[in-house]
Amino acid sequence: MTVRSLFEWVEALPSSTAIRESLNGYPILLTSHVVGMCLFLGLIIMMDLRLSGLGFKQTPFSELQRRLFPWQMVGLAVTSVSGMLLFYGQPTRYYGKALFWLKMVLMVLAGVNALYFHLTTYRSVAKWDRDAILPFGAKIAGVLSLVLWAGVVVFGRLTAYNWFTYE
Amino acid sequence: MLPLAEWINSLTLTESLREVAWFGAMINVMHLLSLVVFAGAVLIVDLRLMGGGLTKQPLPEVARHARPWLKWGFLGLVATGLPQLMLAPVKEYYSGLFWFKMEVMFVAIIFTFVVRPWLVELEESRLRIWGKLAGFASIMLWSGVAIPARLIGLVS
Repeated sequence: MTVRSLFEWVEALPSSTAIRESLNGYPILLTSHVVGMCLFLGLIIMMDLRLSGLGFKQTPFSELQRRLFPWQMVGLAVTSVSGMLLFYGQPTRYYGKALFWLKMVLMVLAGVNALYFHLTTYRSVAKWDRDAILPFGAKIAGVLSLVLWAGVVVFGRLTAYNWFTYE
Repeated sequence: MLPLAEWINSLTLTESLREVAWFGAMINVMHLLSLVVFAGAVLIVDLRLMGGGLTKQPLPEVARHARPWLKWGFLGLVATGLPQLMLAPVKEYYSGLFWFKMEVMFVAIIFTFVVRPWLVELEESRLRIWGKLAGFASIMLWSGVAIPARLIGLVS
């Protein structure tokens, strides 16, 4: 079974059709996706500004990370569930969209960046937590996160257009 | 207002910009990027007001750190929102959601840039329930702007 035929099979499922043909489903899902994104990415950006040395310089990084994390996860849950349902409703529409897949790749890279930071630089957070200028590894992680998530927003929005769409 | 919308719609500049395929898309993208920066700066203070988020940091300090991003995010939203409006002024004129968004936004701007800065400078012991209410009201107001804004293009 090819990916294309798998997507066609999913699209033919009654639940996928129900989402696609629902009068209010698409607007509600798309709006939830944006609201969840504001909560998740808005607070991720505030944390990344601290990491990259652009803001919140007097706030201990560990506190920013610990205290904002639950809210970021709420936002991530809302935006992920709504995003998956949007995809589930029209999988073949997204299949040929290069910009959609680019968004997915950037999301994975942003996740890998966050994981790598937590497994390396963040382990020594007690040493640099209150410093105005953070270690090079933290700065790089912050700047990379800002760039990657901005890319996710840009290509996510551009997915609505038919540019770089292939059969 | 309708004659103004029709006049903007008929401008040579408006027609030229509409013909540039990528212009509207780029403006939409910049608007969304400004929105997430603005939302983060609003939320970090609202959560603190409601007793969540950065509770170990003094409230005025959280607000002071968020202020530049609040202003830059807002400027970005205005700078990209105006060309968006310019591209389809008549459509927006006839949209009930657009006018609802504008009315709520007027209140939200006054609340965020006039009322909230005054509130965050008060002693926290004096804020009590008012802090929680202010944070909640701010989130509700900006949701009342963002949700209809997203629905304008989707619901007739």
